[in-house]
Amino acid sequence: MSRLLREEKNGRRALLTKNLTPGKRVYNEDLVIREGAEYRTWDPFRSKLAAAILKGLPDDVVVEGGKVLYLGASTGTTASHVSDLVGPTGLVVGVEFAPRVAREFVEHVARERMNVIPFVADARDPSKYAVAKVDVVYCDIAQPDQTEIALVNCSMLLKKGGTLLLVVKARSIDVVKDPAKVFEEERAKLEKAGFRVVRALELSPFEKDHAMLHAVRRD
Amino acid sequence: MTETAPGSADFEALRQKSIEAAEAAIREASSRPDLHLVQAIQALDDTDKYLNITATRASEWYGLHFPELIQMVQDNVGLCKMIAEIGGREGYTAENLQGRGFTEKKVAAILEARDRSKGGTISDGDLSRVKTLASLAVQLSAIRGALNDYVEAQMKKVAPNVSDVAGATIGARLMAKAGGLDRLAMLPASTIQILGAEKALFRSLRTGARPPKHGILFQHQAVHMAPKWQRGKIARTLANKIAIAARVDFYRGSEELSLKVELDKRLERIKELYKEPPKRKPETRERPRREGRPPRRDKFRRR
Repeated sequence: MSRLLREEKNGRRALLTKNLTPGKRVYNEDLVIREGAEYRTWDPFRSKLAAAILKGLPDDVVVEGGKVLYLGASTGTTASHVSDLVGPTGLVVGVEFAPRVAREFVEHVARERMNVIPFVADARDPSKYAVAKVDVVYCDIAQPDQTEIALVNCSMLLKKGGTLLLVVKARSIDVVKDPAKVFEEERAKLEKAGFRVVRALELSPFEKDHAMLHAVRRD
Repeated sequence: MTETAPGSADFEALRQKSIEAAEAAIREASSRPDLHLVQAIQALDDTDKYLNITATRASEWYGLHFPELIQMVQDNVGLCKMIAEIGGREGYTAENLQGRGFTEKKVAAILEARDRSKGGTISDGDLSRVKTLASLAVQLSAIRGALNDYVEAQMKKVAPNVSDVAGATIGARLMAKAGGLDRLAMLPASTIQILGAEKALFRSLRTGARPPKHGILFQHQAVHMAPKWQRGKIARTLANKIAIAARVDFYRGSEELSLKVELDKRLERIKELYKEPPKRKPETRERPRREGRPPRRDKFRRR
């Protein structure tokens, strides 16, 4: 059974992930019991992965037992849900560059969750955190060259046939350009680098000028 | 690359190592002196705000009781000190007005106002509430002074050249905006020039309106004291020197340079060369217009 639950709550779709650390919260989210197990509510307005799932990303991209390289872990909100999804047999390698937010990530997520390995490192240098080949690279970093950074990581650490989830931040790439154009350009970069872009999901209304590219490494 | 299964002893050892390394990196990053400076300058700016709000409220409130005094005393903190120490209108005497920096004429005027005040009576309870507020303002002013001293002194240590060229508080604000001395040292001068004017910059990029000439740097007296048509040039020169100063401070340490001298020379030159406002161009070029707000009007046009 998947560790992800979809629900309908007063006409609104909601997501839940099975809590890897029952009884513990990461960021003051609600804990609920479903079928005898504890789940954590997953807010699409706070997490772009949750937003993407509600906008059509299938459940089988991040699966139980999967290994995920998470670039831009920040305070670990989304990373904690990824940790829930892959479960005790999975792995999340969380990379964050900014010490201030990494502090919370290490304290609330990495220390508590046995499937998370934290790194305070620059995502431009994957050799610093090359602990395992992964099934999924998730990249949510606010840099103009975010796509290039994601690709460097994929070529070093993503398994053949693995998935890249790239959060395209149009405003970080070019404040002036039309976001739709930016999405198209980044998509072309992925295709050129040997990826098949399965879907491009625009994340409104949850997030403005952001899109999630779901791509699979060809090889 | 070690491929160990999650949950195994090897994996757990790797994980613990990694957590320790991450925590060490965080600890190291958090002990940088420039980050304390950034917090201090922000605390200073916050304190300024509280001080203003509190002092204004205290004087407004006290004004119900003794309106003439708040008219006569310009210095807000000084006024709050009097409110806190002297209290009710009747308490003002020639003695306790001594040593507050008033001329004899002013003292006499205050005493006269005391006798013919248009202010209402104030209950003991209300008076004590106003006094509490006023003494809070006095305390805030002391805190502000201490923070200011700290910023001045620390800037001399952490970024002597930036503080020499830009001044300690402006240098510290630039550092705060950039996110530390390291970040400031990596910024191009053109970015430093408009740090703090992000709203105007993005408006300019979006709509083709005229770009901002200065952000935080406007606070520098060389910029805001200059006539408008010189400000852009001055801000640019200043930003150039600050960029160099920040790099020297961050990468080389505390070596003093003649940056300030060069800067002053250049500023003199600008003042000489551009003494007169620019002549209005015979025909203004049509700017590319895109969606959004219309471009800013040219403010220096002569009628």
